[in-house]
Amino acid sequence: MEKVLLGFAAALAIGLSALATGYAQSKIGSAGAGALAEKPELTGTVIILLAIPETLVILGFVIAAMILYL
Amino acid sequence: MIVRMAKVGVVGPKELLLPVLDLVRESGVFQVEAESRELAAEEKGVHPHRPDLESVARRLFYEDLLRKIDELSPCLTDHPGRESFLEPENALDAIAHVVDKHRLSCRELCRNREQLWQERERLKRQTQFVSAIAPLMEGAADSSLGFFGVTVRDPADLDRLMQLLSDLTGGRYEIMTTTAADGTLVALIALPPQFADRVRRLLEEERIPELAFPEQYRDRPLPEQTRRLQERLLQVTDETARVEADVERFAHRWGPIYHAIQQWLEDRLSLLRATGLIHETDFCFLLHGWLPVPDLERLRAGIGEKFGGSVVVEELQVLEEDLAQVPVSISNPAYFRPFELFSRLLPLPFYTSYDPTLFIGLFFPIFFGMILGDAGYGGLILAGSLALRRYARQRDLRDAAAILFISAWYAIGFGLLYGEFFGIAPSWPFLAGIAVVDRRHAVLPMLIFSVSVGVAHLILGLFLGALGALRRKEPREALLKLANLALLVFLAGAAISRLAPFPAPVTRSLDLAALAAVVAALLAGGLLAPLEMLKHIGNVVSYARIMAIGLASVLIAHVANRLAGLSGEMIFGAVAAGLLHLVNLVLGIFSPTIHVLRLHYVEFFGKFMSYGGRRFEPFRRPGLPHPPPLPRRRAGP
Repeated sequence: MEKVLLGFAAALAIGLSALATGYAQSKIGSAGAGALAEKPELTGTVIILLAIPETLVILGFVIAAMILYL
Repeated sequence: MIVRMAKVGVVGPKELLLPVLDLVRESGVFQVEAESRELAAEEKGVHPHRPDLESVARRLFYEDLLRKIDELSPCLTDHPGRESFLEPENALDAIAHVVDKHRLSCRELCRNREQLWQERERLKRQTQFVSAIAPLMEGAADSSLGFFGVTVRDPADLDRLMQLLSDLTGGRYEIMTTTAADGTLVALIALPPQFADRVRRLLEEERIPELAFPEQYRDRPLPEQTRRLQERLLQVTDETARVEADVERFAHRWGPIYHAIQQWLEDRLSLLRATGLIHETDFCFLLHGWLPVPDLERLRAGIGEKFGGSVVVEELQVLEEDLAQVPVSISNPAYFRPFELFSRLLPLPFYTSYDPTLFIGLFFPIFFGMILGDAGYGGLILAGSLALRRYARQRDLRDAAAILFISAWYAIGFGLLYGEFFGIAPSWPFLAGIAVVDRRHAVLPMLIFSVSVGVAHLILGLFLGALGALRRKEPREALLKLANLALLVFLAGAAISRLAPFPAPVTRSLDLAALAAVVAALLAGGLLAPLEMLKHIGNVVSYARIMAIGLASVLIAHVANRLAGLSGEMIFGAVAAGLLHLVNLVLGIFSPTIHVLRLHYVEFFGKFMSYGGRRFEPFRRPGLPHPPPLPRRRAGP
């Protein structure tokens, strides 16, 4: 039972943070596409901005790994 | 790296101003400053350059003439090989007399040519339709009928059109269709002439485009329209050729002269405009600005050689208050130059800051290799980068190829350490001695390794930040950076002491040292210090992406290999595995690139970089990409 709960907690940690990252990236992606239509020279900056929310899922992953392995 | 700049003053007699400016411009290494602290000190008799009336009149004359010549450009096509041997300065007055007449005739020629081009294009389109419906016309020999040519966008519209025509004419019509050369469906409608107006209205209401025949042929029967259309096309083609020949003749005769004068005027005006940046006394001019230190001696030698001792070049002391104004020029060794592709995405750093290219060049390939870490993928990227380098024409693509070439070696190196070759661990004897970790199973050790790399990277960033703050004479900022650096070191030590068997006093000492670092940070940074510390810890955790993305990559490769085995059929399995490996390879190039850049731009550079530098824009001849070398100093006896 304890193993099941641990697995569920790890899944929640990574699943919810992945949803949050996806939501943030969808907002940044649409705004970025609009910005690129007017200023194509911002391509690099927009790509970097798009990668920034991935910290959320990385943190979720670290928490999940700590739940499962520590 | 950021090129060291020298602050320079050039002083000479006023009558040599233009020749000196000309030489400075030819050198292409000197950024002239309109304002400088030395000249703002209101030294007696020094004032901004005031051109006399004759100079102003001359400049206005040049600008007016250049504007008029620019208007002629549509008629001045290039004739390679034809050059004017007239001295432009001597021909100015003569050209000023004829340029107005040429402008009028050029405008007229261009207008005619434009109209003819438009008409020819329209006639060509119409001819295309006509040639499409010509076979249909043969079946409609009765010229007493009214004819309509229409284009039908959708075949479904044709049924609706036929229904409407049937209602309107009581079935007294005929419709024939064919496909034009451009693929559109063309229809020819034949009906008694009394229905012509009503059908035209119907087509307008239904928005079915009628073939747009010239207005003057509208009332004539369609067969006659066809004939006249073709005749007119021939006429227009002849007229266009005649006008183009006139333009060509004009360009052939006057083009080289006008081009030479245009270039001379642009040169001269760039000099005259630069005089607005000069200061002067009653007898001397004073020119202030910046140039790269390695170019100072060359400029001095060039001026000395041409003007002897009458013009003096003096290096001025760069004071602390000048530092924010020093223009920034970046120049890197060949290894680092391709990485400017990534540093160009950032704003220009301050002169007192660091060139981000060096750090990206050092760490990017290592982190890329740590993430991708597969000898097979690394080999493919290596081959791809060599091919790209060979065939790419654009500079950015060539730079990308060079970066991939370097990064691929690191991917191969880490691939050997991880024992990975397209996601599998081959049982090669030599690999057994090299491979140290299996990423698929060693999740926690890899996580600790990635975070440790982050700690080391950020410690370097904080150290450089403290160094920069000390150079800017901001001791509190430097202390805050050092306190945060110490906090990271002691926190990392405390974490290790709990994972490994450390004596309890050591663990306790590390905890106390971390606490002391927090107190120091609070003293240096005030209430915002805790936020800063939390940010640094978050930054360290962010480096876990090195392991996380790498793990995702190796698992996709593993799945690709499993798929191949599960399919049960060799060819299908190989194709499926190949496709999945291809997807993984593309992801394996883009994903590490984006994330490694993000680690640099956000986490690492945030610790020490300061942006907002002024780009070095030397005074140079318009359109000159690189400065030609100045004459070298003659060897001494």
